Amino acid sequence: MFFTELLNGQNLALLGAAFAAILAGMGSAKGVGMVGEAGAGLLTEDPSKFGKALILQALPGTQGIYGLITAFLIVFKIGILGTPVALTIGQGAYFLMAALPIGVVGYYSASKQARVAISGVSLIAKRPDEVGKAITSAALVETYAIFALLVSLLMVLFAPVG
Amino acid sequence: MSVSKMEKLTAVVPRERADALLRKLMRLRAVSPVQPPSENTKYPPPKGDVAGAAERVSRVEAVLPVLAKRSVRKMRLFPERTKISHAAFRTDGSYERAWQVVAGTERVLEEQRRLRAEREELLAVMQAYTPYLDYRQRLDFTGTAQTELLLGALPGGTSQETVLEALEGRAAVGQLIGEDGAGLYLSVLVHSKEREATARALSAIGFLAATFPRRDGTAKALFDRADRRRAEIDEALEGLETRLRSLSERLSEVEVLCDVETTTLRAEEQKEHLAATAGYTVLCAWCPVQQKERVTRVLEREGACFEFEEPAEGEEPPILLQNNSFAKNFEWVVGMYSYPAYGKLDPTFVMSIFYMLIFGLMFADAGYGLVLSLACFLLVRFTHPREGMKRFLLMFGYCGLSCILFGVLFGSYFGNFPLAFLESFLGKTPEQMPNLSLLPAEAANVALLFDPIQNPMAFLIVSLGVGALHLLAGMAVQGFILCRRGKVLDAIFDVGSYWLLFAGIATLALGTTVGPWLTLGGVVAIVATQGRHKKGIVSKFIGGLGGLYSLINFASDLLSYSRILALGLASAVVGQVVNILATLKGGSVVGFILMVVVFCVGHLLNLVINVLGTFVHTSRLQYIEFFGKFYEDGGTPFKPMEAADRYSEDTTPEDAETVIQN
Repeated sequence: MFFTELLNGQNLALLGAAFAAILAGMGSAKGVGMVGEAGAGLLTEDPSKFGKALILQALPGTQGIYGLITAFLIVFKIGILGTPVALTIGQGAYFLMAALPIGVVGYYSASKQARVAISGVSLIAKRPDEVGKAITSAALVETYAIFALLVSLLMVLFAPVG
Repeated sequence: MSVSKMEKLTAVVPRERADALLRKLMRLRAVSPVQPPSENTKYPPPKGDVAGAAERVSRVEAVLPVLAKRSVRKMRLFPERTKISHAAFRTDGSYERAWQVVAGTERVLEEQRRLRAEREELLAVMQAYTPYLDYRQRLDFTGTAQTELLLGALPGGTSQETVLEALEGRAAVGQLIGEDGAGLYLSVLVHSKEREATARALSAIGFLAATFPRRDGTAKALFDRADRRRAEIDEALEGLETRLRSLSERLSEVEVLCDVETTTLRAEEQKEHLAATAGYTVLCAWCPVQQKERVTRVLEREGACFEFEEPAEGEEPPILLQNNSFAKNFEWVVGMYSYPAYGKLDPTFVMSIFYMLIFGLMFADAGYGLVLSLACFLLVRFTHPREGMKRFLLMFGYCGLSCILFGVLFGSYFGNFPLAFLESFLGKTPEQMPNLSLLPAEAANVALLFDPIQNPMAFLIVSLGVGALHLLAGMAVQGFILCRRGKVLDAIFDVGSYWLLFAGIATLALGTTVGPWLTLGGVVAIVATQGRHKKGIVSKFIGGLGGLYSLINFASDLLSYSRILALGLASAVVGQVVNILATLKGGSVVGFILMVVVFCVGHLLNLVINVLGTFVHTSRLQYIEFFGKFYEDGGTPFKPMEAADRYSEDTTPEDAETVIQN
């Protein structure tokens, strides 16, 4: 009885939304934090590089936003904000799976991107003019988070419900 | 859209004219000096006073923030740089007056430092007396003929019983002076014979004799004396502060002085890099050909002997990009990647068009675009930014226009704000809402074309279509470069054969009869031509297959453009979230106020995050996908020597005399 209450389509879909927001958000929090620490080290030497360090620090933050977007679309799609849509367990699981790409890849790519951004911080410590290259290298890592977002988004937008 | 041609200038002037010539050339911002050939440097270069100039700059720079902090100069949101002739500044006495301000400020600062140090000392002294303020005896009283006085403190928290125990049975009288968290202060009058034993007993429970800086009075009197001096110092410091404030009224003079001295420092440093003979100095510098006339005029007036030469084989002149007034705002984006090599193609113009297009598509929203454009154009109009900043702002301003265009096409005005507003404030049902879309759409929307959230596949096709166009343009540029070098055949083989294949695939998709034949022709052309540099028929064939394999790269480049869809949806969906939160309370007055607040904060946040993301990813598509097709980079940017202009704009006429000896 307890399990049938708990295990329904709506909850599985919500679990998916939670997955997307939690994992991607965790990755971004970790990544932004790591780059922030490295950036603070640079700023003790040269506070005028704050703008450049800030851009690098913001880069791993986007995965969290992608997770938020996916979570929101799922919540929107299953009608939490309006009239709830009745979901079968299968349909709920569909949303859970749709959330996996951005959740997992978002987490992983945010921390990997943070490491490239940290190298970028040491690059601008010595050569502040090369900030463009530091940003581009870090942005390359983000590509895969974007692709994962794309997959998740398309899956959610074309979900066979509602 | 080209890399400016450079010529090498060699100019010879008498030693004593070197300074004047350098300053004039700095004002022109038209030449970038290079190290002269080493065989000319037998004689030492003219002595530049670099150390002196550097010291003057650092003195002025040390004073500037002090004055700036106190300046009551009207704080303008967008400060304008002082327009002043540096040459006139140096000759009409302003220079000396500004130095008086600097020297005056330095004196005040020195006095401040001295007084502050004394004040610190006084505070420490006063602290030493504080616990004994209630002790009435003079501090130089150490006992009578038969007795001795022990004055000092026990650790905080020591109970009076402990003290009494320690003094038990001794010829000693203890008196408690006071107590605070840090200690228990007491005076103990002891018979001289018992002094040693009592002192030992007391130090066993942690007694420490008090030490005072002076003892010629009671603690209270000494404390008050120090306090009076402290009050005097405070007053003096107040006076110095007033003096600094009055000096700060002349901040702008010091700012101009800072620029003038920095310019001098640059000239002095440059002087040390000149080649020299006994009576003459030699300046070698790169000069863009379009600046030759202005430079020539100055050189002739200075009586220099000079010549311009084309760059020799193997020399790499610096790169100055020349573009029309639109595309030059995108030069810094190219610069962030790398400048083109000398004599190679400047990609700025082609890139700027695609940059605007892709930026607008990725961040398609009329509302955000309008805010971005307005902010950038107004900042340029009212803040008089420097050239670099101006171009930066103008570029985003133009990109904002493109966002507006695509926002109208895809029906995004601050996300789905029009629809959210209609629904929650005017109570329209989805059936009553407009459906403007040209393509068939099920739900309400205000898009001219289609709404990307409702129809993501269509948006994906648009994204990849723009991507294909971008990549084909990159290949076209490559073909153009090859043709310009006279390698027309290479252009046909390397670009034409692929285009044939793409045309084939396109027509195949449309289902025409020529499709298969065109595709086959393309494949054959690629296999036949891509191994042409290899030796032997087998290697040629394998090379040809390799050419076919490179189509995989093309496909992955193309798929990379799907980020346009992802980022476009990302900004739209976050905008939608903001709108849902903003219209949560519906059409009441409270709801309206809430809406305004949430709307402003939320959309501003979304705007900032997405401008950053869109900028980064649009740049990436240019750098990796587009530049990868043709770009030959590796140049160093042209950095002319120039007068300092941090605080002021030099309005000295180009050919004015500047003979100033320091």
